[in-house]
Amino acid sequence: MKTSAIFRPAYFFLIAAMLLPAVDYFLPAKLQFASLVPAIMVFAIIGLGLNIIAGFTGLLNLGSAAFMAIGAYTFAILTCPIYPFQIGFFPGLMAAALIGGAAGILLALPTMRLRGDYVAIVTLGFGEIIQDVLKNLDAVTKGTQGINPVAAPGLPGVSFAVDNYIPLYYLYLALVIGAVWLCHNLRYSRLGRSWVAVREDELAARAMGITTPRVKLIAFGIGSALCSIGGALYASLSGTSIEPSFYDFQQSVIILCIVIVGGMGNVTGVLLGACIMVGFNSIVLTKLTDLMARNGLVGDNVLAAPGNWKFMIYGIALIVMMRLRPEGLLPAKDVQAELHHADDQTSAAGAR
Amino acid sequence: MALLELDHLTLRFGGLTAVNDVSVRIDAGQIFALIGPNGAGKTSMFNAITGMYPPTSGRVLVDGQQVQQPPKIRDWLRWARASVLTGAGVTLAVNANSWWDATINHFAARNPFPWGEAWNAAVTVSTANPGWTLIPALIGAVVGAAASWNAWRMGRRTPDMVARAGVARTFQNIRLFRDLSVLDNVLVGMDRHLTARGWDAALRLPRHRREEHAARNIALDELAFVGLATAAQQPAGCLPYGHQRRLEIARALATRPKILLLDEPAAGMNPTEATQLMTLIKRIRDRGITVVLIEHHMRVVMGISDRIAVLHYGNKIAEGTPAQIRANPQVIEAYLGKEEE
Repeated sequence: MKTSAIFRPAYFFLIAAMLLPAVDYFLPAKLQFASLVPAIMVFAIIGLGLNIIAGFTGLLNLGSAAFMAIGAYTFAILTCPIYPFQIGFFPGLMAAALIGGAAGILLALPTMRLRGDYVAIVTLGFGEIIQDVLKNLDAVTKGTQGINPVAAPGLPGVSFAVDNYIPLYYLYLALVIGAVWLCHNLRYSRLGRSWVAVREDELAARAMGITTPRVKLIAFGIGSALCSIGGALYASLSGTSIEPSFYDFQQSVIILCIVIVGGMGNVTGVLLGACIMVGFNSIVLTKLTDLMARNGLVGDNVLAAPGNWKFMIYGIALIVMMRLRPEGLLPAKDVQAELHHADDQTSAAGAR
Repeated sequence: MALLELDHLTLRFGGLTAVNDVSVRIDAGQIFALIGPNGAGKTSMFNAITGMYPPTSGRVLVDGQQVQQPPKIRDWLRWARASVLTGAGVTLAVNANSWWDATINHFAARNPFPWGEAWNAAVTVSTANPGWTLIPALIGAVVGAAASWNAWRMGRRTPDMVARAGVARTFQNIRLFRDLSVLDNVLVGMDRHLTARGWDAALRLPRHRREEHAARNIALDELAFVGLATAAQQPAGCLPYGHQRRLEIARALATRPKILLLDEPAAGMNPTEATQLMTLIKRIRDRGITVVLIEHHMRVVMGISDRIAVLHYGNKIAEGTPAQIRANPQVIEAYLGKEEE
């Protein structure tokens, strides 16, 4: 079947992720990094969520961090011991998904008649509003302190102790696999076709009898639910809901970059994008900072802290990518076929 | 009874009258052509039929029925639900901090948490100052009801409803889903006949797979009907122009319409392709689908139409069989200008 072929690069990720802890065990302690990988997995799930909205359905959502925040805070409120709910890890995830999905649908309802850039502006505004709401709803969200402690995963018979990352690693990996499977199934169903049809030509999709507002609402609902699950997982990983300004526009842009770098509309591309964007930030830069500190290279100079290079490198990488490979590193097959078909036509016309 | 009836249809854009008081009755099983010079209002008429523009006045009846329906009980219930939910949401949003403080935070130190006392406290705090509870609830209720009523009003006759009522169309400037494969384009057209729900697909239940398999076969048949079976897996945007036109027809046929509106299907085709198209349109009619067609290609129009209506500056100036139209002096004048005296 044609669909299974698209899964192939995904198998590479799967095998690499499965074997990583074993390989990591034999690395020198200074280079071990597998314990940092769950952060990548969290952002992969968030990226998959945004990919449904922006990649499949073509609605440019610049407020994905807000849904991450909604997930994180829902999860934190429902699992933190300072509140009476304490429903535990998995029910907390489900609640985060439900509330996040509902918030996504609520946000999308008034934007149904908007197209293109206007959706981006509304979601951008929503992202800012959510930060302010979280700051000012301080009786519930503890304002800028954030809510902590947040529940760690719990499974009967498995210990998720801090000193052993392995169970957590495989739990998060399982969740990523679940999210990938879900996205892949949805994309190659009637719903996924409708999403792409809306992206390609909304009016034509409507004229074919597709209720486009409904299709867009479902995309927003499922996408936001995934973003919220990601936010909840990140909160659980950090042990706190962090603070409202963590979920700012910059965060939304990083999530968008994960989708763009990998290749809009391609599930495996999102995984690659998460590896590159988050891996660079939380693994390469962390290791580099350690290395420089050990060698006494840290000083007053701005450039002496690798954390400060981050956005410069992101910026350059994006510019280079937009110039050389606008469809992303692992583009969806259909998008690439069209872009390259256009190339062929131009070069053929030039040769004539 | 006519299958498609336009009843004194008028369409104005500001000061421009694109369609002026046109009444047409199209019987089932016909090939009906709509001709007229550029800017005569033919495509506007298609857009009014398919719900892309709301008519300024007049009605469009499919099978004697208006797609636009008066509000049903279900609609009233929907407005009521939206009203209640918005009211509750606004009240909660306004009072979240104080209510949370008076209940959850107030008893947070107690173990086990006294849910009953917290509920009583919530009732006390929300009734102690009814202004803060009732006014936001009222505002929210009004806004919610108004918004959902407005959404219903705007969505009374949308293109998707018209398509589901059995009217499919193609576009003057081809509007395919270019990134989707040829087969998927047709499958999008079939969407309204598929019944698998989101979770069937998400979990790959056998129901979904069976349905997809069946749909695929039907779509391939539809592609074979227009002669595109071999191109099924190509992206639609990569097809040559003539094939794209055929694919648009296949996609429209996949919705299993009663009426098919073709907007200049022969535009840009060479004589051979136009002849093939004529055969195709006849075969569509033989499947029991009524075809309404806008066309400039007179050989095509005169060759296949059962009836022809002529539009000129938004007015219907003639209607009849091809022979009648050919002989009609008004039509000749509209196309060629007045003869010098």
